[in-house]
Amino acid sequence: MAARVSLRLRVSVAFGLGALVLAAGLSLITYELTRDNLLTRREDTSLARVLFNATQVSRLIDDETTEEELRELLQNLYTPLGARPVIRFGDLWLSANPVEFSEPQIDPLLKDTVAGGRAAQMRYVVGETPFAVIGIPYFDINAAYYEAAPLDDIAATLSSLLIALLTGSAITVLVGIGIGIWAAQRAVRPLTDIGEAAEAIAAGDLNTRLEGADPDLERLSRSFNQMASALQDRIERDARFASNVSHELRSPLMTLTASLEVLRKRQSDLPVRSQTALHLLSADLEHFKQLVADLLEISRYDVGAAALETEDFEILEFVQQAARASGQSPLLTHSVHAAGLVVRADRRRLAQVMANLLENAHNHGAGATQIHVERLESTLEIAVIDAGPGVPHEDHDIIFDRFARGRRQGPGARAGGTGLGLALVSEHVRLHGGSIRVTDRGDGQPGACFVVALPLDGQ
Amino acid sequence: MGQHGGVATRILTVEDDERIRTSLRLALEDEGWEVEESSNGEAALGIFRRNPPDVVLIDIMLPGVDGFEVCRSLRRISNVPIVMVTAREDTHDIVAGLEAGADDYLTKPFAPKELSARIRALLRRVRTAEGPIKNFIFADLEVFAEEGVVRRGAEEIALTKTELRLLVELASRPGRTLSREVLLERIWGYGYFGDSRLVDVHIRRLRTKIETDPANPRHVVTVRGEGYKLQP
Repeated sequence: MAARVSLRLRVSVAFGLGALVLAAGLSLITYELTRDNLLTRREDTSLARVLFNATQVSRLIDDETTEEELRELLQNLYTPLGARPVIRFGDLWLSANPVEFSEPQIDPLLKDTVAGGRAAQMRYVVGETPFAVIGIPYFDINAAYYEAAPLDDIAATLSSLLIALLTGSAITVLVGIGIGIWAAQRAVRPLTDIGEAAEAIAAGDLNTRLEGADPDLERLSRSFNQMASALQDRIERDARFASNVSHELRSPLMTLTASLEVLRKRQSDLPVRSQTALHLLSADLEHFKQLVADLLEISRYDVGAAALETEDFEILEFVQQAARASGQSPLLTHSVHAAGLVVRADRRRLAQVMANLLENAHNHGAGATQIHVERLESTLEIAVIDAGPGVPHEDHDIIFDRFARGRRQGPGARAGGTGLGLALVSEHVRLHGGSIRVTDRGDGQPGACFVVALPLDGQ
Repeated sequence: MGQHGGVATRILTVEDDERIRTSLRLALEDEGWEVEESSNGEAALGIFRRNPPDVVLIDIMLPGVDGFEVCRSLRRISNVPIVMVTAREDTHDIVAGLEAGADDYLTKPFAPKELSARIRALLRRVRTAEGPIKNFIFADLEVFAEEGVVRRGAEEIALTKTELRLLVELASRPGRTLSREVLLERIWGYGYFGDSRLVDVHIRRLRTKIETDPANPRHVVTVRGEGYKLQP
């Protein structure tokens, strides 16, 4: 399935794009209108002045006018706002400010048009300054009047306006995205509530229901609640069943255990054949008891009835006890930071984790040689190491499956263990939010290393 | 082994399953205890009134009056050591049994040897690791350890033997914290991994008896992550 963009992101992006289009459109219109308005006004005033100046010039020149007189005339024209007059007189071009604006700067197209006897206006950039250039032809004499009005003040105004509009647009887009995020959050809040309720149920709080949902989502919340109720019923029924099974299995086992003990007390009175049978009975009763205990324990996970019962305890002391209880004598080591560390965990379950790992080491690895406790940044690792043949790499993942041992050794092999020990270890550790892995020993020696990693949240 | 003060120790077993009852009687008699049987709560209370046993073993799931109720009824009239038996490893059942007044509990199927060890631990004389203890005064309490009597002024406070042992153990090191594991070993005789709920529930019961405000204990104090301590 292709990766889907989240609803929240999509709504935010849509709001952002909408704001962008709106802001850009408004800015463009504002800019164009302002620009036209400013230029038209400037051109109107320019044109009036140019006509006035052109008339002045036409009145003062005739075929006899000398270059000197023309120059004087140019200097005396009224040219506010830095307007630059240029006169063509026959082939003679005269400019009031030859450096800033003279004949070569007049666009040939404009020259041609004026030469053709029509007054014309053009806007273009000379150097870096924008100019509005107006040309007026004379009819009775071979001359023309040009005037270039610099538009740089308007350009400056327009560029300020442009910056203001761009900034405004950017803010509008950001506000749009902000509103989008807010709206999306508002829109998905009912879904967030449902998500949280589902998580609470998954975490074991089966009484969680949705209340006061948005009217638009009423059907969803109703069916969600129905589903939650059905799930709760089923889990409770399963848990009751497991509890009844537990009672029904344990009661006969109680009678068997007590009766066998009575027989064992008198085994020397029994014939040899009966003694052998008694031994078989004893051994398999022990095995059966362990199997029932493990099955009942693991069935609590299957019916979702497993809940942590945590308490605070010192981990090194605990590991030491676990080692002593197993009857094995592994070397106990720990990192400096693990000393005196108090953890909050389900002591009974962790004790079972340790007991099962140590029993596994006993059954398959000739007993644990070392238990190492390592405190990492946010996890605690307990490694149980043995000197047996180790676990083949292809079994590293399946070894924690239920009855994985049977699959590996084939049916018929029943040497110790119920086949559920490591599966229970894995379940217990997962219930703590931790993980279990099996690796080779780090030192190159043969043997297995089971590492239990537990989170140390808030400790 | 089952001798207590020269006379055979009598155990009253309250169990509705006839096969379990019979097999337990056989096994317990092998351990040297004298066993009296009862198949329901009412009969058990009758036997108890006529001829009080030294220890009572109660199955939680009984027809009619359930094990919890039998336990509570017994506690109203006696401080006899009580062991609860449950067929479920249900926290609720276990804590409820201890709250009802049981001193210890076992989960079926248990080895009769284990039950014997539990009973012996419950019947041990009140003493600390250092040996027998003398009477002492603690805060406003007078403790007559040998007699098993605790008095506040003229008022006599009825403590079970387990509660008294808990008090004496904590009082033998006032101000020092004792971990749950140490208490489990000294009082209940658990070597490894006893159930710390045993300690917690008994501490709670002790508080309701000797603290003036059990919700805010001043004397029997919890030390988080470590255990409990007694302070004057």
